[in-house]
Amino acid sequence: MSPTARLVAALAVLATATAVAAMAALFIGSAPVSPRDVLAVLGGRASAAPVDQVVVLSLRLPRIAAALLAGGALAVAGVGFQGLTRNPLAEPSVLGVSSGAAFGVVLAQVFGLRAGPLEILGLVGFAFVGAFVAGTAVYAIAARAGGLPVHTLVLAGVIVGIFFSSAITVLISIVDFDRLGGVVHWLLGNLGPLPPAELGLFVAATALGFWLVLHPSRQLNLLALGEEGALQLGVDAERVKRRIFAGAALLAAAVVAFAGPIGFVGLIVPHALRLALGPDNRVLVPAALLAGGLFLLVADTLARSLIAPAELSVGVITSFCGAPFFVYLLRSRTERIEP
Amino acid sequence: MAFAALVLAAARVPADALAVNDPTGRSLTLPGVPRRIVSLVPSVTETLFAIGAQDRLVGVTDFCDYPPGARRKPRIGGMLAPSFETIVTLKPDLVVATPAGNREETFVQLERLRIPVYLVNPTRLADVLDLISRLGALTGHAAEASRLAAALDVRVKGVAERASQLPRPRVLYVLWPDPLIVPARGALVSELLALVGADSVTANAGEGYPRLSLEAAVSGAPEVIILASHGGNQGPMAREKWARFAGLPAVKSGRIHSVSGDILHRYGPRVVDGLEDLARLVHPEVFKPSGRR
Repeated sequence: MSPTARLVAALAVLATATAVAAMAALFIGSAPVSPRDVLAVLGGRASAAPVDQVVVLSLRLPRIAAALLAGGALAVAGVGFQGLTRNPLAEPSVLGVSSGAAFGVVLAQVFGLRAGPLEILGLVGFAFVGAFVAGTAVYAIAARAGGLPVHTLVLAGVIVGIFFSSAITVLISIVDFDRLGGVVHWLLGNLGPLPPAELGLFVAATALGFWLVLHPSRQLNLLALGEEGALQLGVDAERVKRRIFAGAALLAAAVVAFAGPIGFVGLIVPHALRLALGPDNRVLVPAALLAGGLFLLVADTLARSLIAPAELSVGVITSFCGAPFFVYLLRSRTERIEP
Repeated sequence: MAFAALVLAAARVPADALAVNDPTGRSLTLPGVPRRIVSLVPSVTETLFAIGAQDRLVGVTDFCDYPPGARRKPRIGGMLAPSFETIVTLKPDLVVATPAGNREETFVQLERLRIPVYLVNPTRLADVLDLISRLGALTGHAAEASRLAAALDVRVKGVAERASQLPRPRVLYVLWPDPLIVPARGALVSELLALVGADSVTANAGEGYPRLSLEAAVSGAPEVIILASHGGNQGPMAREKWARFAGLPAVKSGRIHSVSGDILHRYGPRVVDGLEDLARLVHPEVFKPSGRR
C-alpha cells in the first residue's frame, strides 16, 4: 500500500473506533442516568430532565473532548520526541518535560494565575517555558558526538524530572497550602469537564503543536537515516529539529496545563502504531492524534467507573499500563528506532 | 458529674497526682492540675480560650489562628510535623492532641520524652460539648465550661426545634472542590445539615468525608449548594465552576453560598456559629441574619 492509502485506511479505522468509544462513554458514569435518558438529552427532547442534561452535556461531553485532545496531544508529542532523538523511549513524562511544564504551571499559580481564559493562556505559556527548559536540559546532558545514547537520555530525563519535582515540592512547602491545596491532586493527572473557553484554547494549542510536528514529518523520516544522510538529501536538520521540538513541547505543555502530567501515553500509542503501520512519520503523526485520544478516553472512562462513585486519577491508570511497557521496551529495543 | 467525682476521688489518693481518662478512654496520671498545656489541635486551642483557660496554654500549632490571642502564643509547627525541640523548650506538663490530624508517631515520641498526652477525638456535636466540659474540669475552669456548654446546647436546640417543622431542601455541601470531597455518613457536617433541616444529597455517599465524582454529586439535583472556603481565597472561583451547570435547581435559583470551613470543620465552640450560618442559608425565610460577627 502507498503511504497515502495506508494513511487513509488507518485514519478511517481509528476515527470510527474513536467515535464509537466517545459515544459509549456518554452512557457510562456514576450518576444514575439511564441510556434512554441519555438519548433523550442527546436528541434535545423537552422531556429530558435538567439534571440529566447537566450530567451528559456539561460533565461527560466536555470531559470526553478533553480526553481525546490530551491523549492525541501526548501521542503526537511522543512521535515527535522519538523521531527527534531517534530513541523509542523518548516521551514527555520520561524526558522530564512534563515535570518542567508542571513546575511552570505551579509557579504561575504562585503568581496568582488561576482560571479564566486569559489566565489559562498564561498557564500554558508558563508550562511551555518549563517544558522547553526541561527538554533542552535533558538534551544538553545526554547529547554525545554520535547522537543520543538510549540509557543516557533516559537517565538525563529522570534527573531533570526529579529536579523539577523537587522544585515543585519547595514551592508547595513555602506557599500557603490554601493557595496550592489542589496541586497535589492535579499532579496525579486528572481530566475534568473543561469550560468551553478553555476547551477552545486546548484545541488551538493542540492544533498548533500538531501542525508543527506534522509539517516536517517527511524530513523527520529522512533524519532517521542519520543527520549526514539527511543533509545530503537537502534537509535543514537543525531547523526541522527546532520545529518538532517546539511542537512536541507545546503539546506536552498544553496537556499539563489543562489536565496535569499524564504519563506514558506518548510511549504506548506511538509504539503500537509503529508495529501496525510502520515507521513512516507522515502516517504516524496523524494516526497518533486519533489513537492517543482513543487510548486516553478508554483510560479515563475506566478512571471514572472503576471505583464509582469516587474516581481514580487517569494518570494513575496510564502509569499502571505504561510502566511495564517501558520495561519491555527498555529490555527489548535499547538501540534506535529501526529506519 | 460522674467525671468530676472521679477526678475528685482520684485526686485524694496521692498528694497532688491527678488520674484522668481522656475522651478516647486512655487513662493518664498527671502530677497535678496542668498549668503548661501545649495544644496540637486548633479546636482545643479555641475551646481553652473560650472557657478562660488561655493562660494555661503555652504553645499552639501554626493552624491555631482563632481567637486572635492564639496567634500570640508560641508556635510549635504544623499538626503533622510539630517541632519536638520547641515543645520540650516550652516545658509542658500536658500536650493535647488528636488521632484525627496528628500522627501516631508524635504521641509515641512525646511519651518517650515523658510528656503526658491527652487525646481527643470528637466526631459528633455532642462530643464537642462534652469536650468543653472535660477541658473545663481538667484545667480548673469547670464552671465557665459548663456555662458555655449549656449556652451552646440551648442554641443548638433552638435551631433544631424550629428547623424540624420546615420542609427539607436538597443540599450539596462541598468540603473541597478538586478532588471533590463531601460529607457523608457519620460526618459532623452531615449531622449539622440534618439539624438545620437540610436533606444532604451526599448523606449516604460513603463513610465520613469521601471523594465523589462530580456527576454523582449533581445527580441529586441539589436545590442549595454550599461551598466551604478555606483561608478565604477560593470562594468566588469555585462558585463560577458550579454556576456553569445551569440545569441544577440551585443554579437556577442562585442559591450557591459560601461558608467558612475554618468554623464548620473544627470541633470547637464556633461549630454552633456554623450551625446557625447553615440554618440561615438553608431556610433564609425563617432564620434571619443576626448581628453576630
